[in-house]
Amino acid sequence: MSNPSVVHRAKSARKQKMQEGTIVSFTTVRHPPAGFGTNPLRIGLIALEDGSQAMGQLIAPAHEDIQIGSKVRPRMKLLRVQKNGLRIYDTAYELCAAKPVVQEQKVEREFPGYIVALYGPSGVGKSTVCTLMTKVLVEYVENVPILTTRAKKKGDADEYHYTTAAEFTRLRKDKKIIAATQIPSRSEKRWYGYREEDIQAIWNKGKIPIVITEQHLLQNLSSYYGRRSILSFGLLPPGKSRRAMLSQLLHRLRSRGRDTEKHIQDRMKNAEHDLDFFEKRKELFDHILVNEDLDAVMETLKGHVLGVERT
Amino acid sequence: MNKDIFLIGSGQTRFGEWWEKSLRDLAGEAVEAALKDAPCTSLDIDMVIVANMIAERTNGQAHLGALVSSLFPHNPPALRVESACASGAVALHTACGLLESGRAQTIVVVGVEKMTDVSTEEVADALMGAADSEKDAPCGLTFPGIFGLIAKRYMHEYHLTRERLNHVSSAHHRNALHNPFAQFRKEIPAEHISQSPAVADPLCMLDCSPVSDGAAACILSTVKESDIKIAASQLASDAVSLTERATITSFPATKRAMEKALAEADIDRKSVSHLEIHDCFSIAAVINVEDLGFAEPGKGVELYEQADPVPSINASGGLKACGHPVAATGIKQVTDMAKQLRTSGSRFGLTQNFGGACASCGIHILEHTHV
Repeated sequence: MSNPSVVHRAKSARKQKMQEGTIVSFTTVRHPPAGFGTNPLRIGLIALEDGSQAMGQLIAPAHEDIQIGSKVRPRMKLLRVQKNGLRIYDTAYELCAAKPVVQEQKVEREFPGYIVALYGPSGVGKSTVCTLMTKVLVEYVENVPILTTRAKKKGDADEYHYTTAAEFTRLRKDKKIIAATQIPSRSEKRWYGYREEDIQAIWNKGKIPIVITEQHLLQNLSSYYGRRSILSFGLLPPGKSRRAMLSQLLHRLRSRGRDTEKHIQDRMKNAEHDLDFFEKRKELFDHILVNEDLDAVMETLKGHVLGVERT
Repeated sequence: MNKDIFLIGSGQTRFGEWWEKSLRDLAGEAVEAALKDAPCTSLDIDMVIVANMIAERTNGQAHLGALVSSLFPHNPPALRVESACASGAVALHTACGLLESGRAQTIVVVGVEKMTDVSTEEVADALMGAADSEKDAPCGLTFPGIFGLIAKRYMHEYHLTRERLNHVSSAHHRNALHNPFAQFRKEIPAEHISQSPAVADPLCMLDCSPVSDGAAACILSTVKESDIKIAASQLASDAVSLTERATITSFPATKRAMEKALAEADIDRKSVSHLEIHDCFSIAAVINVEDLGFAEPGKGVELYEQADPVPSINASGGLKACGHPVAATGIKQVTDMAKQLRTSGSRFGLTQNFGGACASCGIHILEHTHV
């Protein structure tokens, strides 16, 4: 750890760590490692604003002042001076208020049940997999309708419920829609979302709701129902490199003939972000599957879904 | 398993502080004990697998495969396996693979660690190699610190009190009273656990497994038979850094390895009579019994509040009381499990050994066939 090159590379992560966040957990290390002096170190695991997590020292007057859920802001701190004179700084986190912010009495939601979430770039086969799942496991899973503001299109299956932008905004405000996203597009602003009542209705039938997601929908669902409720599957196109994956997607999008070339270009741009997201938010995925052989993917999915159904 | 693999012999040194014994002496003593227990001679060993994590740091010694092989008259081929504190289980798994493939027929698996030759600070730094050196370590975090974070969060989510957590270490110490190989054979009342000096809040000294010297050895064979068979050997991995985990109050690697192990042994978890689990810190034991499916999330400690839990948990005394020479632990668990199955006459026993904060987990199920 005292190796200068490790220290040097750790610097590149610093920008990422310079964000406000909340304390997930904390401890006071009574016997600090060599070079950190003899005073106890307060260390926290911080959930940063962008959804990633970081480990860092906490700047707080006393252990008793710190609370899980307290807000913190980043500050550079000299952590130690090595024998060879190298001065090592890193991001530390300071409590936002001298006294811990009054913690919202957010009662941990009871575990409401499982939701199967499919995630993957456009064209990877989410809808196909979803449709097949609801057919093969008709007694166990049911598709959650997507509420959208976009116009009905040829080739749309019955997976969509159409609404107006005004109505969508109202439902969101009333917290009827618990996950929403806006897919950027050149031609129009299009909203997509899931309603709580639709998901609850499926649970009431004793079935597992299945949803098609992208970044925001997945994060919204995860924070609304709790990460434990989400059984998430990331679908990747086959291909050894990112370029190979993208060209595979392009091929699939063109051959299904549902979109115009302009739309396809938009979708490809989003697909790149979607692939990035796999890397950045690994912890949001329970399983990552490569959709090369649809039968194999279905078998795996069936196994996992029936697995939770049994519990 | 693709072949019947028998545990034909096993043995260990007592774990503890062995100033007068070297790394080689410890390995030799364990191998000797295992051979004495087995219906074979040293010449039947056709492969040596050594599990070790930090000998380069604590003993200035690498090349452990050859070192241990040189204890045999015929210098069998040898290799060394490292997966932090799960090195023992990973070495056993490696042996199973080689036996199943037919590349070897009788393998001795030796786990050895000599940790007391250097300062506690140095050992702590070496052990921190099991965490992420760029994401976890730079702020000054130590392993007790990592489990302090886990314990704090667990107590927050499940309202576990400090008093209830005390039962874990206390039970392990009580179990070790009857184990002649345990480092500590002393009963410690539950209330004394949280009165011991704080190490990483909320964990105290008596929540932590000790620094130990020791070795354990198992001889596995496809040609010689015994009453103990390996019914399953499975590994699973997870993100090394806590910052990359969705939750820190449960370890998915344990769940995955467990699922695969039960499928391989083709049994239900209810058939398992004894557990030896990886209690490097008291909170880890609580989480482990939950992830293994013997308790609901948040209720693991209830098993420790019972006098005779079913299945039995760490009847040997666990890492806490037996000592934790890191790479020897996974092999010592199997050694102990064989003894427990023979004593109780039960059919199945399970060992769970993990590395880091369960970034690697190895589960073995032993079957006693003369029930």
